[in-house]
Amino acid sequence: MTDANPTPERSTDSPADGALRISTVERLCEEIETNVSSVIVGHDEVIEHVITAVLGRGHVLLDDVPGVGKTMLARSIATSVDCTFSRVQFTPDLLPSDVTGVNVFNQKTREFEFQSGPVFGNIVLGDEINRAPPKTQAALLEAMEEEQVTTDGTTRDLPTPFTVIATQNAVEPNRTYDLPFAEVDRFMKKLHLGYPTPDEEAELLGRTVGDHPIDSLEAVTDRETLVAARETVSTVQVAAPVRTYAARLAAYTREHAHIGVSPRGTISLLRAAQARAVTNGRDYAIPDDVQIEAPVVLSHRIKTDGRDRDGTAVVEDALERVPVE
Amino acid sequence: MSTESSSHTGQRTESVGPDRLVGTDGVRLLALACVLVLTGSYVAVLYDITQVVGGSRSLFALVGLMLLAATVLARVIRPRTAGVLALSAAGVGFAYYLTSAGVELGVVFSSTDALLSDTVALATGLPLLRMVQAGIWTLGFAPAPVFLSWYLAVRGRYGLGVVPGGAALGFLVLTGDAGTIVTLTGILAAIGAIAFGDLERRGGSIGQADLLAVLFAVTIVLSLSVTVVPGQPTGPTHLVQGEPGTLEATIDSAPERSGISGQVDLSPEVRFTVEADRGTYWRTGVYDRFTGDEWIRTGQSHQYDGRLSNPPGTYDTVEQTVTAETRLGIMPVTPQPLSVDGDVTRDTTVSRHGQPRPESPLEQGDSYTVESAIIDSSPAELRTAGTDYPDEITERYLQMPEDSSSEFADRTAEITAGTDTPYETATEIERHLRTSKDYSLEVSQPAGNVAEEFLLGMDEGYCVYFATTMTQMLREEGIPARYVTGYTTGQQIGDDEYVVRGLDAHSWVEVYFPDHGWVKFDPTPGGGRADVHTDRLQEARANGNEAADTEDSEDVPIDDGDGSDSPDSDPAGPDDPPSDPTPPDETEPDNGSTDDPDSNGTDNGTDPTDAGDPAVGGTSDTDETLSERLVTVVRETGAIGLVLLVGLAAGARRTGAATRLRRGIGRYWHGFRADPDRDAERAFDRLEGLLARRYRPRRPSESARAYVTSLPTTDADGFDSRVWRVLEYYERATYGDGVSRSEADEAIAIVDDLARNQLPIVGRLR
Repeated sequence: MTDANPTPERSTDSPADGALRISTVERLCEEIETNVSSVIVGHDEVIEHVITAVLGRGHVLLDDVPGVGKTMLARSIATSVDCTFSRVQFTPDLLPSDVTGVNVFNQKTREFEFQSGPVFGNIVLGDEINRAPPKTQAALLEAMEEEQVTTDGTTRDLPTPFTVIATQNAVEPNRTYDLPFAEVDRFMKKLHLGYPTPDEEAELLGRTVGDHPIDSLEAVTDRETLVAARETVSTVQVAAPVRTYAARLAAYTREHAHIGVSPRGTISLLRAAQARAVTNGRDYAIPDDVQIEAPVVLSHRIKTDGRDRDGTAVVEDALERVPVE
Repeated sequence: MSTESSSHTGQRTESVGPDRLVGTDGVRLLALACVLVLTGSYVAVLYDITQVVGGSRSLFALVGLMLLAATVLARVIRPRTAGVLALSAAGVGFAYYLTSAGVELGVVFSSTDALLSDTVALATGLPLLRMVQAGIWTLGFAPAPVFLSWYLAVRGRYGLGVVPGGAALGFLVLTGDAGTIVTLTGILAAIGAIAFGDLERRGGSIGQADLLAVLFAVTIVLSLSVTVVPGQPTGPTHLVQGEPGTLEATIDSAPERSGISGQVDLSPEVRFTVEADRGTYWRTGVYDRFTGDEWIRTGQSHQYDGRLSNPPGTYDTVEQTVTAETRLGIMPVTPQPLSVDGDVTRDTTVSRHGQPRPESPLEQGDSYTVESAIIDSSPAELRTAGTDYPDEITERYLQMPEDSSSEFADRTAEITAGTDTPYETATEIERHLRTSKDYSLEVSQPAGNVAEEFLLGMDEGYCVYFATTMTQMLREEGIPARYVTGYTTGQQIGDDEYVVRGLDAHSWVEVYFPDHGWVKFDPTPGGGRADVHTDRLQEARANGNEAADTEDSEDVPIDDGDGSDSPDSDPAGPDDPPSDPTPPDETEPDNGSTDDPDSNGTDNGTDPTDAGDPAVGGTSDTDETLSERLVTVVRETGAIGLVLLVGLAAGARRTGAATRLRRGIGRYWHGFRADPDRDAERAFDRLEGLLARRYRPRRPSESARAYVTSLPTTDADGFDSRVWRVLEYYERATYGDGVSRSEADEAIAIVDDLARNQLPIVGRLR
């Protein structure tokens, strides 16, 4: 994230090296969204959130029942931006090396060769991540935070961009593990897809009869453009009042919950707000950006005591009570 | 008591530690200052008294001693011990006063009802100055409240500390000695002491005293505009004849005090008639204490019991019958009265100086007979009277205000340099005043000591000035003298009948001679006075004032009366031996010219306003006083207004009204331009104000954009896309990289336009 220091780099008029104009990124986002919407029926807000998460260098946790299109969403986004897409199906017997890759002895060269695992991809879909034991889940931790993988003492960088879109099965609690809190905290956003409305479902059915639209989906941009766009987002100005506002929201959650939002959560919030500002064509974040992102960015980082009051309620309260700067 | 407390001191020091000695220093200082001001308020009142009767130095020494003792003892003794100490101090002071007043202590305890009635008399408006031993009373009164209030204040018990001071001040208010300003100051100080003390206890800061400012303003404005506390002693219960502004009213308005004022008029109306063998001055009041601007009669009156004390020496007796011709609150007698007969004696009181007075006014037609002693001493006898004055005379009749200047003493000594006996001194002073000053009713009252001002700085005055000055000069020379008011002989209309009018009101001097008694002296120049008075009466007659004459006096030409009007031409020469050796310097009034119809006509014609109508008399003077009064009024109003303003400002700060007002104005006027970003932000603030009035105010947790979005705006409301532009500029200015000058100006212009549409009147006209 960038501070609101008055850097001479103003991406509106003269984009710095590797960055794009704000308007270009804004248009890009619209194109991706339109493209994804041709596959995913409805869920416009979730699509936007995923796109801003990708632009804001965050990872996304989709928490939902099976079969609502979580995988399809991840695939269509990956396809739209012309990135490599890999998928890990987490099962109770999955091992960490199944995720990160293993050194295999090559009989011909008489040497160990690294067989990269599915984590080496631009967009990684971790399906039903909570079915694997914490040990395997932890294999993702380093990848998500450091964008690198260490196996047998060798550290390998992951490709750029790197975004994990994990799904979590919410219906079979007795056959799943709770995600470690530290891992949950590493997801920028936790999103819910939910069931489509009957109309949306009818349209969805109409589209999927015959060829599935994902098969004919084409990229609207390439990987390099996406990297440049992420660069642009990181230059978005976050003024002192907005930073103060985000900090106050976090402070409120700490005062009103067992465990409140971590500073990492606040950083994520501002990154998301930066991306949100760009999708609205601004090179500066405003409190509204923070307000839009706060529920999905902060809620899953809050642990409450009571059963009736979850993190979402605390964030709602915070938004209601904390004055806008 | 003190030994007891000191014997315990050592053991108790720990537990007796001051309740609170540390605190918010500034506030504590203010609270202490307020207690001091409260103390100062009633000490100032007491000082006013000691200034007149003497003892200022003792008073200050006593107060200082008490403050010191309280400061020291505050860390040493318990409040209860302090209370007992203060009470015993008060008791000792009171006992001392009573012994000085000549009351045996044994009597005090046996006649508590008398004490009680005295206290009630004081508390119902008897001014302290009327007490015979006012100075000693003051010294006895001061220590207890000063000590107790300062003791408690030093211990931090401001609320309690205000009680003794407040009680002392309250008592002085009830006696009528504490004026409005002093009382107000004391009350404000009391409020301040309690408030600041409270602030100190709760750890508040001076900034929180804005409520106090409001309270002060309310107190000041209310007390200065609504009169609840009588600023002066209650007015005379039986007012004498004579409308305000007349010489008569000035001389003789209240039974216990006689003020000295500036310009006065003369009333030509007949007051009473006297049938007497001799025409003398008719005395109505005797005063012994001089404050510098008024005379006060000390001591209580008692019911007339059929006999009055007679002079020590030889005397003739003379009988006179006085008939009131109008409502009369006084009882004119020939000095010195020995007995009074008639129906009115049932409710006649006699002052300590032997002057009778009716308790309720005499009605027209009431009459009474007086037997008086006229001192029959020759000047030679008076010259040899010596100076062996009784103590009670010197105690009472040598009083001078403490601030009398040395110039006055020097001048007096200079005038009386060649005299050997008190009698010669008196005649010399009388002669000097008669010859060196002119008679005039049109003088403006001097500030400060009237006697000094008149002797040293003024060229003319009327009887009050002459008599006051002579009395004070005599006292300066150690000769007991007193100031006497009454009427001159009046117009003689028969062999033994005199008509006395309002314009005959007069004041003169009585001087005490051992073994002879009180002897009359009149320092007022007779000629000038007679002229003025005659003119006045003739005018009244010319104007047809019926009250100016009785049936009998109507036809008597004035020049007959003139003779008797003039103090020293009065045929009762033998009654008035002191006058004889010092024949008046002025000649008899020129009867011929007064009688001349032409000259009368000319007088009336050319100078009708001279003395004709009291209201018109001295137009220029009236104007001057009016403008002076206006200045005073303006100054007072200004002061009240200022206080009110401060209070309003503090109240506005308290309620936040100032902020609201600023916002209210700000909606319609942007104010001075700042940098573009601030201007854009301000423009949106104003827009928000406009929107808040039309729809709803923005919630604190609501972002600007969310607020504008949530409003059910339509173009018809005058809220078009321009609102969004203002919002965008605001966001750029606040969160982005700023706006340009032209963009800020655009935002301001948009809001100005919207505001004009919203203006209650202009908006409707559009």
